[in-house]
Amino acid sequence: MTDDSHDGDPTGRPDASDENRTRADRNATATDIASGRTRNSSAARSRPDRLRPETDGGRVTDRPEDRGAIFEEDGDRELDRGPFQQWVANSISNPERTYRAMFYVATIFFLFTTLFPFYWLLMVALTPEGRQQDIVLTPNGFNPGAFVEVFQVIPFHWYVFNSFVIATASTIIVLVIASLAGYAFGRLEFPGKIPLMLLVLVISFFPPAAFFIPLNDLFNTQFAVLEPITGDGSLYNTPGAMVLPLSAIFMPLAIFILTTFYAQIPDGLEDAARVEGTTRLGALFRVIIPLSAPGVATAGVLTFIAVYNEFFFSFLMTDGQPENWAPILEGILGYQGQYEVMYHLMAAASIIGVIPVAILVIVAQEKIVSGLTAGALKE
Amino acid sequence: MTTDTETDGGTEDRTAPLIGDERTSERERTGNRLVNWMENLSEAAYAYLLLLPAFALLALIAFYPLVMTFVMSLREDRTRGLEPLGGFVGFENYVDILTGNARLARQFLDVSVSASYPFVELGVPFLQQALFVTLAFAVISVLLETVIGFGQAYVLDQDFRGRRWVRVAIILPWAVPIVIQGMIFFLLFQPTVGFGSDLMQWLGVFGPDPLADSQDAFIIILVADIWKSAAFMALLILAGLQSVDRSLYNVARVAGASPWQRFKMITLPLVMPALLVAMLFRTMDAMRVYGLIESTAGCTTVPSLTCLVVEAMFGGTRIFATAAAVAFTTAIVIGLIISVYVFFFRDTEGGLY
Repeated sequence: MTDDSHDGDPTGRPDASDENRTRADRNATATDIASGRTRNSSAARSRPDRLRPETDGGRVTDRPEDRGAIFEEDGDRELDRGPFQQWVANSISNPERTYRAMFYVATIFFLFTTLFPFYWLLMVALTPEGRQQDIVLTPNGFNPGAFVEVFQVIPFHWYVFNSFVIATASTIIVLVIASLAGYAFGRLEFPGKIPLMLLVLVISFFPPAAFFIPLNDLFNTQFAVLEPITGDGSLYNTPGAMVLPLSAIFMPLAIFILTTFYAQIPDGLEDAARVEGTTRLGALFRVIIPLSAPGVATAGVLTFIAVYNEFFFSFLMTDGQPENWAPILEGILGYQGQYEVMYHLMAAASIIGVIPVAILVIVAQEKIVSGLTAGALKE
Repeated sequence: MTTDTETDGGTEDRTAPLIGDERTSERERTGNRLVNWMENLSEAAYAYLLLLPAFALLALIAFYPLVMTFVMSLREDRTRGLEPLGGFVGFENYVDILTGNARLARQFLDVSVSASYPFVELGVPFLQQALFVTLAFAVISVLLETVIGFGQAYVLDQDFRGRRWVRVAIILPWAVPIVIQGMIFFLLFQPTVGFGSDLMQWLGVFGPDPLADSQDAFIIILVADIWKSAAFMALLILAGLQSVDRSLYNVARVAGASPWQRFKMITLPLVMPALLVAMLFRTMDAMRVYGLIESTAGCTTVPSLTCLVVEAMFGGTRIFATAAAVAFTTAIVIGLIISVYVFFFRDTEGGLY
């Protein structure tokens, strides 16, 4: 535990110790005005390491000096305190300790609430078929074969692949087009800016069903231009029938995210690039976008996940056959037989289906954190 | 900063005095006519050029279908015969929807004014009216998700060992397809499979058949939605937190600000733009909730606005015009809520506009 304080926040150290000293001084003045100040600060400075082993397990010792002060002051007078009282007393004199404790409680709480349904899903997946009753913390029986059976009943990997391709294509389209639009909205002044932004926003007011009937007609219309690509000239049963509407529907969110992030980059950095001879588009792609990496990564992750998980168009825009680009949703619903629902297979398929997104989040979260450096560059 | 040096060895030009830069860029510009043309556009013209691809796609995929659907909503339902739509009836469909006279399985809104307290009378129970169900769902879920999402983002913003994995774990619910999310909570509260109903009945919260009871099912859907969508808020708020300049905190610490003051004076104002975008889009999403309801309790138990649209459009009753009208009324309701946002947060710096 104590190691954490070292690799935790190296940059914050000098400031923190400064502040400690003043706070320790203040404590000392309150409890022991006459001798406390000199004794405490000198003791704390000279022997910070001696006191470290005396910290009680759960806490990260950011500031041994401060604790040293308390220990010296209260040590002999408060021996009869119980452990809880001692903890409270320490918390009052050292609020950081309470924040740290709250932080751990919150982290564990969030981890439990987010992960428990997954754990439970795993238990459902491991329970053999027909015994899905009263699953609480352990599966009724043990059947890891469900994770193999998933691929035998229907070609589930094919559905996952389709979804992956559709989501990747949509994300690329959305990020490129929304970057251009976000730059215009965030950094340029032009007449009609707010009405145009509201026009983009209005799309998100409508339930997806409002788009469906005209779009379905449009995608079933045969265009001579498309014949070499799709065969019969219509978009139905092609990835285009999914990528186009999903890109359009999730684009407003990406545009708004990118607008807020691009707007925060100081003009000076862009001007500097322009003075050095960068083209207008060059300034966008080489200055603005790299500096807004957290925003771009967030927009990308959100778009990818939203497309991957979309319910409405995924359900209606293909005929459900994997060779016709049916997405993962159709695969999961494929385990609903005519007479029974194979819950354990649906659960296993769900867990498998979440893995690609989990990998994506692991990769992208590095970019989302990179805001730290971006922040340093900003002004 | 990188420049277009790859195109024509501008490396030595960069070291030239500023006066030479004009000439350099001129020379680079002559290389490509398209770039040259773009450089000479006025700011407004350049902005319109950048917006062109977005609006071209949106016009084809979003605006064109919406206009068609709107025209549809002005026509008459014709349940018999070959052609499903009759002649133009103006806004009659909208009037039917708002007065509770539409041929829908659940009404959009069914209230009448009465003389005695509380002066309005509900035609059917509160949670059987799509508008109220959806509004209650949106308000409660967005509020709770914002608070929880902020908490999660704050945790993820700290430095600690294993942060990467905690971050993945907290964002993971957002990655769950809606069908799966629905299935998890359906099974959890399904009396024979899960233990959720037993637990809640033991606590005295739920009645005998939670998934068929409007109120209990509403709570289940709310919990399911918060579980999944708090991660969305957390991710957006985290991105906002990450772009806060860390040196501001050092300044505040030196000035003696308490953690709460640091949060109120630095974090909140700087995260506000990202937070607003997150809340805005979450509200719109919550107002359009459908897949989750369909895959847990069903649209009859908890009718949302989108539920009405989908049931009218695909329910086999051939009331397409009414479906289109409900879709547009939903959009108007969402538009009103969004204008409340825009009104209250119009002064936020770097906000929506």
